[in-house]
Amino acid sequence: MHVEAPQQILLLLIILFPLGGAIINGLLGRYMAKGLVTLVGVGSVALSFALAVVSFVELYGLRHESETATLVYHFYEWFSLKLPSGNVVAVNVRFVMDSLSGVMTLIVTGVGGLIHLYSIGYMGDDEGYPRFMSFLNLFMASMLILVLGSSMPVMFVGWEGVGLCSYLLIGFWFENRDYAAAGRKAFVVNRIGDFGVLIGMFILVGVAGSFEFADINSAAMAGEFRPDFPVWLLGVAPSLATVACVFLFLGCTGKSAQIPLYIWLPDAMAGPTPVSALIHAATMVTAGVYLCCRLSPLFITSDVAMSIIAVTGTLTALLAASIAVVQREMKKILAYSTVSQLGFMFAAVGVGAFAAGFFHVFTHAFFKACLFLGAGSVMHAVHAHGDADIFKLGGLRKALPITRLTFLASCLAIAGFPLTSGFFSKDEILLGAAAQIFRPDDMLMTSVGWFTLIGLTLAAVMTAFYMFRLYFLTFTGEYRSADQSGDHPYDAHPHESPPAMTIPLVVLAVGALTVGFLGLPHVVPIIGTHLSDYSWWGHWMEASVAGQPVPEQMYIVNLASGLAFGAMAIGISAAWVLYRNKSTDALAEKMPARLYQLAFDKWRVDELYAATIVNPIKNVAVVAGRADMTFVDAVMTKLPSFNVREAGRILARLQNGVVHVYGAVVVVGVVAVLAWFWTPHSRIEAAFEGTRVELTTPQGLGYEYRWDANSDGEFETQWKGTPGTTFEYGHDDMRGIAVFLKNTHSGIEHRIDVTDEWMPLPIESVVPAEFLSPRDTGFEVRIDGEFLLFRKAHARTKLSGMKEIRLPMGKSGRLGPARVSSRPLVEATLEVRNAFGNTRRATKEIALPFGFEAPTHASLTRPAHEVVR
Amino acid sequence: MGIGTYLALASVLFGVGAAGFLARRNMLIQLMSIELMLNSVNVLLLAFNRVNPSNHDGQVFAFFVIAVAAAEAALGLAILIAYYRVTKTLNTDDATLLKY
Repeated sequence: MHVEAPQQILLLLIILFPLGGAIINGLLGRYMAKGLVTLVGVGSVALSFALAVVSFVELYGLRHESETATLVYHFYEWFSLKLPSGNVVAVNVRFVMDSLSGVMTLIVTGVGGLIHLYSIGYMGDDEGYPRFMSFLNLFMASMLILVLGSSMPVMFVGWEGVGLCSYLLIGFWFENRDYAAAGRKAFVVNRIGDFGVLIGMFILVGVAGSFEFADINSAAMAGEFRPDFPVWLLGVAPSLATVACVFLFLGCTGKSAQIPLYIWLPDAMAGPTPVSALIHAATMVTAGVYLCCRLSPLFITSDVAMSIIAVTGTLTALLAASIAVVQREMKKILAYSTVSQLGFMFAAVGVGAFAAGFFHVFTHAFFKACLFLGAGSVMHAVHAHGDADIFKLGGLRKALPITRLTFLASCLAIAGFPLTSGFFSKDEILLGAAAQIFRPDDMLMTSVGWFTLIGLTLAAVMTAFYMFRLYFLTFTGEYRSADQSGDHPYDAHPHESPPAMTIPLVVLAVGALTVGFLGLPHVVPIIGTHLSDYSWWGHWMEASVAGQPVPEQMYIVNLASGLAFGAMAIGISAAWVLYRNKSTDALAEKMPARLYQLAFDKWRVDELYAATIVNPIKNVAVVAGRADMTFVDAVMTKLPSFNVREAGRILARLQNGVVHVYGAVVVVGVVAVLAWFWTPHSRIEAAFEGTRVELTTPQGLGYEYRWDANSDGEFETQWKGTPGTTFEYGHDDMRGIAVFLKNTHSGIEHRIDVTDEWMPLPIESVVPAEFLSPRDTGFEVRIDGEFLLFRKAHARTKLSGMKEIRLPMGKSGRLGPARVSSRPLVEATLEVRNAFGNTRRATKEIALPFGFEAPTHASLTRPAHEVVR
Repeated sequence: MGIGTYLALASVLFGVGAAGFLARRNMLIQLMSIELMLNSVNVLLLAFNRVNPSNHDGQVFAFFVIAVAAAEAALGLAILIAYYRVTKTLNTDDATLLKY
């Protein structure tokens, strides 16, 4: 049973509070006291979090009544559009909180709130503090629209909104050209992904006939995405689901920084540290994972797309981790760590462990936000700007005890130390990969499972290693910037950060250590006890997220957790040996120099993209710019303006100011007008009413008219002021026969000249040859007295002379798509007289649309002219 | 006398006025030529009124034309005097300030 609570206005308010905060701080912030800016900025998010908790509790309560309970707020119908199929699809601004979006809302508002709190301390002294708070609030609102939107378009509004805020906040210190460039890079790279989301969205709505996630998912479960995609790609026919999922995943690689579009995220660290923590670690970059989970019933129907996602995620995890191992700067290491962890999440999605992937989103939000904020705390302490080189730090555990402890807790969590949150989530991911290996009789799944399991294990080893390398180099040993003699840019006397910064650190660190218990595994390794009652997470997520079944065989469970534990142990031990209390990069000394340099240069991926994609596009842009300047601007803009200007220069000479010239022009004009009026002007128009012909002419001022309707030299009417007359023509008035060919479809009509010699009938002049059948062509025509004769030219010899067809005057005959008609011709004459007494004659040949009764030879009666008026 | 005589008189007057306006270079003469043309129109109006005397449109219009001509003459002469004070000439060939 589906339980829907009444309209949940709270869902709207959750979004409106940060949005209002953004508007107030954005428009008025610069005129407000700093305390008020803080109150609006942080207070709105805190309120939003409180409402999110209230909604979540209500949702939790409803779950006891129904497994699929959701909270819904229908705001209004945004627009509707008509599909090619004829269905009208309404796009509603509608917000839904189910188990998935509920958890995500809590993460966004909760972690977001803590980071807002932290920003008071970190950004409080910056000139752009109100602007910062406004952007941060706008981000919260966009992210909440993304999460709570019930349909693809609404989600896409949020999707673009967070992209915009990301751009604004990366380039927050836009005076620095590099930072502004980093923001631009993030935006442009994300546009490529957004294109994929749009295409995916169109495929989804085309098949499912709805933009709502719920409808798309039920269509996917009903198998509507199973049929082949109508366009064949590379000789194979992928299913609709595969194509849609691949395009959507392209969007996810942009937003969530996966191969091939991950390159923007490390550069995004140019933004202030709270931004890195909130947008580029905890929330926005997980939007791709969220989208995959949201549409998990769709994704799971395409093995091909899932394999692509799993392999891409694993490769990203490995690549990013390998870069992070050799970097020297805190935020850069954390940035690559984020890319790597996002790779873990996508690998989980790809092996069908959606709940595990999203669990990692959840735990990662805590420890990665804590790590970034810890890095920010360190940078704040040593007055580092932009980023901090860990080889110039060290020994900070004495100066920064709270930061150090929280940082350590988060390092343990991300490394997967037993019973921390990362331990549980990473375990679940590896378990999902291992389960894939043992799916029976599926080569693709088995090989993807092996690849993912081994790849992720290696990445986990590197994760534990680089995190503890970072920890040991920063917090153990001696402080290397203590004596200011050498090249040490940092403050000699670091100090612990204010409470506004340390409180969020502590809360996040506690979360990083404990939230894992929400997702206790179904089967505990080694012991083997079934604890499925305790897997709160899996049970909670079941309602809205599909997935492969979680395996319960002991050997799979033991394999996965053994690998996870081993990876953690190896990584931490290696870091302990190489870096604890050390000040030099021992790994770099042991590695081959060129390999180290290559890894330090991030495998030169940016350079590869520059050479293969960016520079060719730039060159095209240069060429296009030249074309614009030389063709559009010159030929199409400057040339016409030149023409107009020169023509004006010449014509301006006429306005020479001499009054005689003007007067002469007036006189010439007056004479011309007089000359035109000197003789009358007229033309004849004929209209047919039965057998009567109405002859008219446009009326002129002071004109008089008389008609000789049959042009026999005798005027039927006297001079009179009204122009029209009516006449009934008789057989004697006829002057000949006019033959017309008409295309009955288009209405095109041609008069043709026919004599009394045989000539081909030019039917092709009104009907294109391809519409003619052989029956309609090859006719010859001639006039025989008052008849039109037709014959088939080549039929003459085969058949006797009876093949001639006679068409009487005034009748018409059909020839396929054409109609041929024969009409009697008469001539009307009009004489016009104007006020000057001048006359003029007009004559007109009229083809009557009806025939006359031909007088028989026996009959001597002739129809007399009928004089009207 | 038929209307043709009046029409001929009006045409001749108008032609003399137009020719004078175009041929002479003195502004005063040109103003007088304009008066001639206006009066030729007055002759026409009165002649048509005589042909069609049922109402007095023609005569009324002739009065309007006389009033407008008076106003125009007053304005024209005022401009002319002002112009002469500035330039010390009334030759229209030199009055080309309002050209392109």
